Amino acid sequence: MNSIARDRMATLDLPPGDREPIHIPGAIQPHGVLLLIREADLTIVQVSANTAALLGREPEELLNTPLNDLLGAAQVEMFSACLDGDFNSINPLHLMIPHTQQAQRMDGMIHQTEAGLILELEPAQPEEETDVFGFYHLVKGALNRMQSAMTLEQLGQVIVQEIRQLTGCDRVMVYQFDDSGAGQVIAEARQDALIPYLGLHYPAIDIPNSARQLYTLNGLRLIPDVHYQPVPLIPVLNPLSDRPTDLSLAVLRSVSPCHIEYLQNMAVAASMSISLIKQGRLWGLIACHHGTPKFIPYAVRIACEFLGQVMSMELIAKEANEDLDYKMKLKSIQAKFLETIPQQNQHSLINCLISPDLQLLDLVSAQGAAIYWNGEFTTLGNTPGPNALNRLLEWLESHTEDNLFYTDALPSLCQEAESYRSIASGLIALTISRTNRNYILWFRPEVLQTVNWGGNPNQPVEILENGEKRLTPRQSFALWQETVRGKSLPWKACEIEAVQELSSAIVGIVLRHADELARINIELERSNTELDAFAYVASHDLKEPLRGIHNYANFLIEDYGHVLSEDGVSKLQTLVRLTQRMEDLINSLLHFSRLGRVELNLQRVDLNTVVKNVLDVLSISKEPEVKIRIPRPLPTVLCDRIQVAELFTNLLSNAMKYNNKAEKWVEIGFLEGSRELGVGNRDKRGKEDREDGGGTSSSSPSPSPSPPPTPIFYIRDNGIGIRDRHLDNIFRIFKRLHGPSQYGGGTGAGLTIAKKIVERHGGRIWVESTYGEGSTFYFTLQS
Amino acid sequence: MTPAHPTHTLLVVEDSDEDFAAFERIVRRLSFTYPIYRCGDGDQALDFLYRTGVYAEPDLVPRPSLILLDLNLPGTDGREVLGEVKQHEDLKTIPIVVFTTSSNPRDIETCYEQGVNGYIIKPIDIQKLTRTIQLIVEYWFEAITLPYPLEL
Repeated sequence: MNSIARDRMATLDLPPGDREPIHIPGAIQPHGVLLLIREADLTIVQVSANTAALLGREPEELLNTPLNDLLGAAQVEMFSACLDGDFNSINPLHLMIPHTQQAQRMDGMIHQTEAGLILELEPAQPEEETDVFGFYHLVKGALNRMQSAMTLEQLGQVIVQEIRQLTGCDRVMVYQFDDSGAGQVIAEARQDALIPYLGLHYPAIDIPNSARQLYTLNGLRLIPDVHYQPVPLIPVLNPLSDRPTDLSLAVLRSVSPCHIEYLQNMAVAASMSISLIKQGRLWGLIACHHGTPKFIPYAVRIACEFLGQVMSMELIAKEANEDLDYKMKLKSIQAKFLETIPQQNQHSLINCLISPDLQLLDLVSAQGAAIYWNGEFTTLGNTPGPNALNRLLEWLESHTEDNLFYTDALPSLCQEAESYRSIASGLIALTISRTNRNYILWFRPEVLQTVNWGGNPNQPVEILENGEKRLTPRQSFALWQETVRGKSLPWKACEIEAVQELSSAIVGIVLRHADELARINIELERSNTELDAFAYVASHDLKEPLRGIHNYANFLIEDYGHVLSEDGVSKLQTLVRLTQRMEDLINSLLHFSRLGRVELNLQRVDLNTVVKNVLDVLSISKEPEVKIRIPRPLPTVLCDRIQVAELFTNLLSNAMKYNNKAEKWVEIGFLEGSRELGVGNRDKRGKEDREDGGGTSSSSPSPSPSPPPTPIFYIRDNGIGIRDRHLDNIFRIFKRLHGPSQYGGGTGAGLTIAKKIVERHGGRIWVESTYGEGSTFYFTLQS
Repeated sequence: MTPAHPTHTLLVVEDSDEDFAAFERIVRRLSFTYPIYRCGDGDQALDFLYRTGVYAEPDLVPRPSLILLDLNLPGTDGREVLGEVKQHEDLKTIPIVVFTTSSNPRDIETCYEQGVNGYIIKPIDIQKLTRTIQLIVEYWFEAITLPYPLEL
């Protein structure tokens, strides 16, 4: 991508001035005559105004007369037989014009236009060798030399020399167009006295699109004398269509005044150009310039055109041969990728890609690469910083659609890239998955380049008085140097190909991984369902015998209590108590296993109401003598009301239960702000607080400068406290610190359930405690 | 109140002998005098209701006034029995109370969807159990007017 040329195109904002209707100039060059013929009856319906000079007949004498009158039935018969067929095979026609005084010999070229046939006649050159042997003679040496050329450069050099020799022109050049249409002279043969143009660049607009199109249609164009007087067509409009006659394919077509001026500015008096077409697209031109008017005979032109076609065909082969060693090296790197990658899984892929065994950078000769996977970048070599990479990714996502994007001039497209152009002027961005946001980026540094322009490329447009812009021919062709910034070496086609190959290998893995994930999900769902069912069945099957033991122990007491000793009755009572405890355990386990599977019903919940309800329930059954403190109203938060009520119930009932002080209190409050959620570092402070205030100080929220605050709730008590060594264990299921008969008993599932509720809300729970003085449970309901 | 029908009968579908023994012991203490029939699994229960198999002698097998149904049964389980009875043109009017250990919300939901008349979770606590059975008896055999047995 030549961004420089593109930028200029953009700023020019040309109206379709680029689309000057050069294919219908209504006139021809004077070195031949043009006849438009109605196909149905072969009648001449339009002629160029110069028929008298070349054919000895005034236009009026020819118009609306049968072609037979001009050429004679025999000659017309010669080509009318092939009118339905391929004109290329009959052109040129060798014609005699019988009615002129010395029986003028003419070269005729016939082709079909949208309405009628166009016959162009040029006087044949007397010395012209027009047979097959002559043609063979003209091109044989050239072909041999072209075939022995190894590289594109050599091929260009051979062809300019051959064509200069064939035509005798002062200067013959090969122009090559880049993606943006800007041209560069890559080969030149010239008269020694002329200034060399080799290596010069020309902006894309030097050759408008309309001209490019005609170059593609029509392989050869000749202007024998740029100072010619255009010869109008009579009548002006094509009588068959009532429109200007389409001269796209006419070799005599009059040249755009702009182009003529351009050539005159270059001191060119005669020119010929031969199109070079690669895979249907205009790849370049062979341009012949001559300082004085010069007519190039038809046979020579045909030979030149033929050589142009040969070169066109050779281009593909020669370009494929370019950098053969480099391509071989790429292929071997690529092969290693293709061999290694399919064995990876999603997790080892990144490590595999950046491992030195595989040469991710060498794959495209980049200096840096960044892989974005699972929300983070892994980088290799020289890359922009993490923030810049993130923003670049956003830019890419909003500016590109394709899975493969590349540029050698990133700063010209993305303004921010200007700041890191020394690292990433060149970029290849490969999208593995847009939805999962998996990308691989390669970077190339800026390479300062000096571009030699044929004249200052910045001023090809003239602003007219009415403000309109108009393309103007270049005035100066003197060397104009420009240092190009923000560009890297261009990415080669073979490098892009390597990336594409890599892409399909990785996509394969990602797809495979997605399949696996789907399968695992199904499995997980099934095992979850089974587990759920299992929990119920297990609890049922455990409960039934348990109930039997319970009931029968009771029946024993009822029926035989009077015959048993007190000790016997007491043992049966223990049996009954144990069955109840076992049921509690089974219920807790069932509850815990269900907790993770029930959907959270998130809503805005006023925690004051929740706490009030919980306290109401707790005060009915337990410890009414505990003093509850709530220093300030609790906030309203987004949570599942039922689960959070259970959370408070568990924590508050623990706080009330595990207390042996005479005056028991529990404080419910919250801290604002997101201080470090460490378990240990708050420990000391907590102790100091309590020492200072004797455990009764009002809770002072830690000052927190950084919004937004995530409230940290706490429930503090002056209870029995927890020894340090138990702090890590208390959230484990069924881990109890006290005997079942102490502190009202309990299954040991309450804190495990509390933890699960907090974690399901995306929060954290932790505890700080001083043994013998009290504990504080902290939790958040979001991360 | 004059009883327009000779007697009520209760069908208990329960596989656990201990549970049934406990039930019977408690129910008898409540001076419940109606006949109690017991089926040990779902197939027996259906035979009883359809008067097929071992219950083929019609005179011996009354239509129950209430069915107390355990859910987890060997063979045809309580859920199937419930479904079948509640879709049966004649039998669907017999009230069914599920008396089970299962607290699975899905069981509770599907039972009510199928038209169960009550769902009671068996407690493990002799006082609670006694109280529960007392409530069943008082509610269904004293407070409620049960549909008359069609053939009697």
